[in-house]
Amino acid sequence: MVKLLKCEGASYAYPGGTPAVDGASLSVEQGRFVCIIGPNGAGKSTLLKGMAGLLPLDRGDVTVDGVAVSGLGSKARARTLALVPQFLDAIPPLTVASFVMGGRYGHLDSWRRADMSDYEAVGAALKAAHVEELGERLLGELSGGQRQRVLIARALAQEAGYLLVDEPTSSLDPEHQLGVFNLLRELARSGRGVCVVTHDLNLASQFADEVALMRAGSFAAMGCPTELLTPEVLEPVYGAHFRFASWGAGDGEERPVVVPWAAQ
Amino acid sequence: MAARPLAILLTLLLAGILVASLGVGSTDVVGVADGVRGALAMFGLAEPLEQYQVLVELRVTRLLATVGVGAALALSGALLQGVFRNDLASPSIIGVSSGAGLGASLAILVIGGYGPRFMIENAVGFGPVIVTLAALVGAASCAWLVTTLSTANGRISVPMLLLVGIAVNAIAAGLLAAIQSWALRDYDVSQALFSWVFGRLEDRSAFQVGLLWSGLLASALVIPFVALELDLFATGEEDARALGVNTGRVKLLAVLAASAAAAIAVSVAGQISFIGLVVPHVVRRITTASHRAVLPLCLLAGPVFLAGTELAQRTLLGGAHLQPGVTMSLLGGPFFLFLLVRHRRELRAW
Repeated sequence: MVKLLKCEGASYAYPGGTPAVDGASLSVEQGRFVCIIGPNGAGKSTLLKGMAGLLPLDRGDVTVDGVAVSGLGSKARARTLALVPQFLDAIPPLTVASFVMGGRYGHLDSWRRADMSDYEAVGAALKAAHVEELGERLLGELSGGQRQRVLIARALAQEAGYLLVDEPTSSLDPEHQLGVFNLLRELARSGRGVCVVTHDLNLASQFADEVALMRAGSFAAMGCPTELLTPEVLEPVYGAHFRFASWGAGDGEERPVVVPWAAQ
Repeated sequence: MAARPLAILLTLLLAGILVASLGVGSTDVVGVADGVRGALAMFGLAEPLEQYQVLVELRVTRLLATVGVGAALALSGALLQGVFRNDLASPSIIGVSSGAGLGASLAILVIGGYGPRFMIENAVGFGPVIVTLAALVGAASCAWLVTTLSTANGRISVPMLLLVGIAVNAIAAGLLAAIQSWALRDYDVSQALFSWVFGRLEDRSAFQVGLLWSGLLASALVIPFVALELDLFATGEEDARALGVNTGRVKLLAVLAASAAAAIAVSVAGQISFIGLVVPHVVRRITTASHRAVLPLCLLAGPVFLAGTELAQRTLLGGAHLQPGVTMSLLGGPFFLFLLVRHRRELRAW
């Protein structure tokens, strides 16, 4: 059986509001890198939280490897799906290693004791996110790019099969943007299902196996980057003009390059 | 300072304060050495004093009440500060203590003969238990009210929390004044009610002290099941949920335990404010911010603060001893202002 995270007909409205997500369906297979793109307010982050089981959907189902996410206990859910948030409410006064240990919560026994396997998992997560050397540094001392990697490391410590990542590059410089997307693709290649919400069409183009375009709470189109990142698909959804080109990506394939351009 | 050395230091400090306190009271007829001997005699570990054994036993009971009340209020404050993710939260500021006081006062009024006949008849002989249960209902109701009104979209607004606290405190103060004025001509009932306003640690019965310690133990039992979770709350409730924390259950457990601890302290000793504000804050400053250290350390630091203040003022003022509620307000009020000034930027952004 193909292992996948599947969302079917998901709908959710915030209390007193119009539906933020309205009949959205998406599948993320393990080993695949899926990017969700779309204009502001299209419902991308809300859908991601719905897929992570953090919002009670009004309609629709989310299943992971055939099991309903809503039926999982909170710890079992954290062992199956890991969400990397766009930002934290506050930066706690913790070392990186202690912060990443937070990702082990779903694995701890009923007395909340960490054992050797937890410390090993934290070490492996720090290594996989290339932040081993930051273990003893305080979270508040890190740069934006380092902090983003540490957030990914904490999600890796959950040892979940699926990573849901919300706008990981929104405040990063180009070098760190590429670094984070490279890391996420590496993680997908190592067998995890990775689903990333991003506004950066060119990062999605270079790295994603599949791009899904959201408009007004549901998907307007989805497919591989070359099929999806075209004027016919993007311009009606974004209501903006783009210039298009095509360059070879690292895997030897030609990928679209998309630049928003003011109408002449 | 690391948590373990601080725990040892606080234990030694508390032991010193308690031994010194055995020799200090409204009558200075018993020295420290006799005080210790009399206290040991209570547990069959020494010969009773020929004179003043009863006096020492009263002092031991007072100290047990002081330690229990200090620990319960500090634990309550630390739990509330963890749940609300803000060090301005404490049982007295957000109205939990007032709620407990109101519940307890109503119970005193009923037991004093001002309730329906069937309630008075059933209450006879169960005074302290009924007062404590009524305090718990009052505290939990206020905690629920404050939590509900200050939460929007899963986030707690700190200004709203403080404003709702002001409203709850004002309502409770008004109702307490109404209850007091109603019972003004009844000497016994008005005396019992009056001692609540200033807090009282003397003349507590052994039964009340037993009740206090049982309630404290029950509240402290939640520590292993909420401490790590409250640490994970620091980055936001949604983030904690994503990591697998059952946030609803943790909030319920922590708020219930905080309400129970505040209620049991208030029902035994009356209104003693600000311990729940000051102690957790100072503990976090001295050692780590982790609730796995802060919550147990508050069980030691709360008694050190309350018993230490009591000892200091009894030594300095002698017979002119102030009620603990008065000293705590005089110390805690300025400390709260200091915290508000420190949080100026956060509150101005509102």
